[in-house]
Amino acid sequence: MACGSTSLWAGETSWFCCGNAWGPCSSAGGGACGNCQSSAHHGAWPNASQACWNITRPDLCGENIPRRGCGAVMKVKHQCSGATVCITITDCGPRTKDWCGEATCCNGTCRTNRVLDLTPAAFSAIGNLSSGKLPVYIYE
Amino acid sequence: MTVRHDRADGMRRRRFLTTAALGGATIVGATALGGLDAEAAFAAEPSLDPAIAKSTFVEGRITGITGSVLEVAGSQGGHSRVQMTNVTSVWKVRATTAEVIEVGDGLYARGVKMPDGTVAADAVWVNIVNLDTQIRGIAKNRLHLAHGQHELVGHVAPDASASYAGRALTSDLSRLRIGQSAQVLGAWRPSDNSVDVVRISVGH
Repeated sequence: MACGSTSLWAGETSWFCCGNAWGPCSSAGGGACGNCQSSAHHGAWPNASQACWNITRPDLCGENIPRRGCGAVMKVKHQCSGATVCITITDCGPRTKDWCGEATCCNGTCRTNRVLDLTPAAFSAIGNLSSGKLPVYIYE
Repeated sequence: MTVRHDRADGMRRRRFLTTAALGGATIVGATALGGLDAEAAFAAEPSLDPAIAKSTFVEGRITGITGSVLEVAGSQGGHSRVQMTNVTSVWKVRATTAEVIEVGDGLYARGVKMPDGTVAADAVWVNIVNLDTQIRGIAKNRLHLAHGQHELVGHVAPDASASYAGRALTSDLSRLRIGQSAQVLGAWRPSDNSVDVVRISVGH
């Protein structure tokens, strides 16, 4: 599936580990889709399924994020640098409801609410892992 | 440092790495870009210079250090060699230098693959974790955390910061409460499987 350019959403992205890994991540497992890997350009989406939605509840933050299941392909673009990475959805997350109102900013413009989690490989392609969060635009 | 300077610095760093990759040049000891400002380097985002080759990602445990080359065993098998350079940014609990990297550390690295397969790193993050946890206990200088089905000790550094319910970071950790969900950005300690807590974000 192609990495498209149709605007889908915008918000914060964080990062997480999955699959075979070292340290505390070694118990993370393959995620909701079973094939998530930290070393691949993968991501977690809050509406990967109804069961996923029931956990993440982005609607409680005003984010009626559309359903995109395992295997969905998205292009993620850093709001300020313009750096992009093409990812495949392989997990459910983040728990958007826990972080309602959280903002991440660059160049004076902020994105609000966690709407995406990226693997270390994907996150580091557009930003620095030590920042923890990035403001992004999401396309499909 | 301004954003413009950050990006320009990032472009110079990655162009240097690519030049080294294409030319097969020895990059250890090169000082064309001068000394490394670690904080500034981590403030910079990857460059958008279309002339720059696509970055390569390396993940795994460090099994050996030979001069400025890190030998890395991937978590899915396989082996990589990561070349540290004078412009490689290093994070281990904080922005630091390559001298603190040890055999047994976990590593994520971003860089450019050279003709011999070695990855010339522009950034390495050593033992970095970003964990979804629940606070199970609070002591003076440490947190007891649940991560999945596992217990985890978090050592709270004096310069650790916290964010509460999506608000800005603060040095006040007194509002942490047992039972809260918390995302912990920190550094794993391979010696005892605990973590150093750098930033903790608790939700609603």
